Amino acid sequence: MTRMRYTASFLGESDRERVHEASLRILAETGVRFHGKRALPLLADAGAQVDAAAGIARIPRPVVEAALATAPRSFRLGARNPAHDYALPSPVTRYAIDGTAAFTIDFDTGERRYGTRRDTEQALRVFQAADMGVMAWVPVTASDAPAGTRALHEFVAMVRASSRHGQHELHTREQVPYLAAALAVAGGGADAVRERHPWSLIYCPVAPLVHDGPMLDAYLDLGTLDLPVMIMPMPVAGTTGPAGLFANVALANAEALSAIVVYQLAHPGRPVIYSSATGTMDFRSGAFLGGTPEMGIMSAALVTMGRFYGLPATSAGCTSDAPEPGPEAVIEKLVTMLPPASAGADIVVGLGEIQGDQALVLEQVLVDNELAHYVERLVEGVGEPADPDFVAEIAGVGPGGNFLASRVTGRAARSREFLAPTLIGRHGYEAWRDLGSPSMYGRAREKVREILAGPFVDPLPDAVEAELVRILAAADAELG
Amino acid sequence: MTEDLFAAMRQSVIDGDSDAAAELATSALAAGVDPLTAIEDGFVPGMHEVGEQFRCGDLYLPDMMLAARAMQKAIGILEPEMLGRSAQRRILGRVVIGTAKGDIHEIGKNLVGLMLTAGGFEVHDLGVDVTPERFVEKVREVDANIVGISALLTTTMVGQRAVIAALAEAGLRDRVKVIVGGAPVTRAWANEIGADGYGEDAVGAVTVTRALVDA
Repeated sequence: MTRMRYTASFLGESDRERVHEASLRILAETGVRFHGKRALPLLADAGAQVDAAAGIARIPRPVVEAALATAPRSFRLGARNPAHDYALPSPVTRYAIDGTAAFTIDFDTGERRYGTRRDTEQALRVFQAADMGVMAWVPVTASDAPAGTRALHEFVAMVRASSRHGQHELHTREQVPYLAAALAVAGGGADAVRERHPWSLIYCPVAPLVHDGPMLDAYLDLGTLDLPVMIMPMPVAGTTGPAGLFANVALANAEALSAIVVYQLAHPGRPVIYSSATGTMDFRSGAFLGGTPEMGIMSAALVTMGRFYGLPATSAGCTSDAPEPGPEAVIEKLVTMLPPASAGADIVVGLGEIQGDQALVLEQVLVDNELAHYVERLVEGVGEPADPDFVAEIAGVGPGGNFLASRVTGRAARSREFLAPTLIGRHGYEAWRDLGSPSMYGRAREKVREILAGPFVDPLPDAVEAELVRILAAADAELG
Repeated sequence: MTEDLFAAMRQSVIDGDSDAAAELATSALAAGVDPLTAIEDGFVPGMHEVGEQFRCGDLYLPDMMLAARAMQKAIGILEPEMLGRSAQRRILGRVVIGTAKGDIHEIGKNLVGLMLTAGGFEVHDLGVDVTPERFVEKVREVDANIVGISALLTTTMVGQRAVIAALAEAGLRDRVKVIVGGAPVTRAWANEIGADGYGEDAVGAVTVTRALVDA
């Protein structure tokens, strides 16, 4: 019996092989530049040809294949509240809030300003109520925290505000002991963090073919906690990547493989999550574009490559370059969400932001959650008939009758087969006017207000809070 | 004959054909054409034409980049000879550019550098992860009058402020204009740290830099 799901194929079987082979050539012939101290010795020991002066490792096929063999095929992304654990791979697509924007559109004033820890707290409280979400990320950088410890403050703000699985970044090795201590405190000890994987790291190579040193070294250090790593290459077709979708996909895939190799060499079996956040360039200004159909296509193709390797496969999506919330944002978010979802992504990362992932909008988190429901409905497809004897039902109604009083219709009204939106109104025109012409964004604003006025979900115990404050103060004293 | 040569030089830039531009520059030297004249009457008009077509929307940024590269290649061949004759080509300004300390994201900086080169500036690119001291040193070395600092991260954009402070401390702040850019950088941030100009993208960066030197 077919599932009759809507699945889209963006790379055929032979195309996947072509991408893979091209990626292997890139890794073996061009190589990848690794800054930092830890990666090159690991690669040299494994058989890569290392040019120490240039910092470039040329990685042969067997090294890549060995890494792919040790990377786990399935694991569970734990959550501070175990009810939110999420197993990978997943039969359905779920969502992560977008991360590390510089700006917030202030909920009260509508002005764009730099983000703060409070913005992260508020956004993650809203995200906690977004039922399609499974993975938190720090949505805005914390301009109110010292640069030297900013990532730590951000990480802890996320741990506090979300009891879902959370991912974020770290910038230096010096920050590692503080993060490890904070996660152990919040996660019930280092062993529990290792076992349950309630938090993970987001890692973006610098396109083309470069790995940041301090960040990569820090992430390798954190292998002792077995923190999963989401590997998210970001080549932009035309600037930091070749100006063609197939070629840019191959470059992104090569970068992802190069990261998988290093993480597996350091800690064989460490969970890695295949991902991508490609973009295109505005050919007039050179600016990055993340909300284009081409981005959606590349994301879907790369989800397919992740699946080709048998790895948990995710991608960026639901992204928009629109300057303000509204129709342009929704169109761009749809065309970058549907392709990876229809290609079977485990997680699509991108709820809640616009302006090329640079601006958080609280109500957009809920609008995007609504959009995720629409996409989910599309992907579920036709499905099997609710009433297997539907021919008899049609015969019972007969020519000229209607199906209004049918039990099947009654059940359908409550079923998943017919989507019931929560933010998009379905009033007739006059009724809509009588209601004061409500909008989708207006309803989302009301809902955001309700959430923020409501109770804090799954707060940390006071003793844990106090310990986190102490750890951050110690970090500030040393690194801030 | 010379007119034909200049026309070919102009066209090589318009076509973004670096090989042709280099060949024409070499031929010009062999034929005894004054290198400064070759630049200013041959290659520069090509760049002007490309700039005009870019502004009209007939050409795209990659066309501009190719043209700039062709012109750079030709200048690279002609300049040593030109300097040997103590001649100097007209430039709108001398720019020292790099990314802030700790930041290795350079695509924005590279775009701005090439666009400034295409726009008639002499650009000295310090690359990535540049200390304030290195900016100061280079400004002194080449007698720059413009400094461009790029940052992609909110954690590294503070490095832009550090460069401005270092320039002030070295007594150079009054003789250089400082431009800043990068995804998290805003006009308000530029004002806050005392920068002279801010470009939201590479085209904007050229516009603001031209304005700073009254070009």
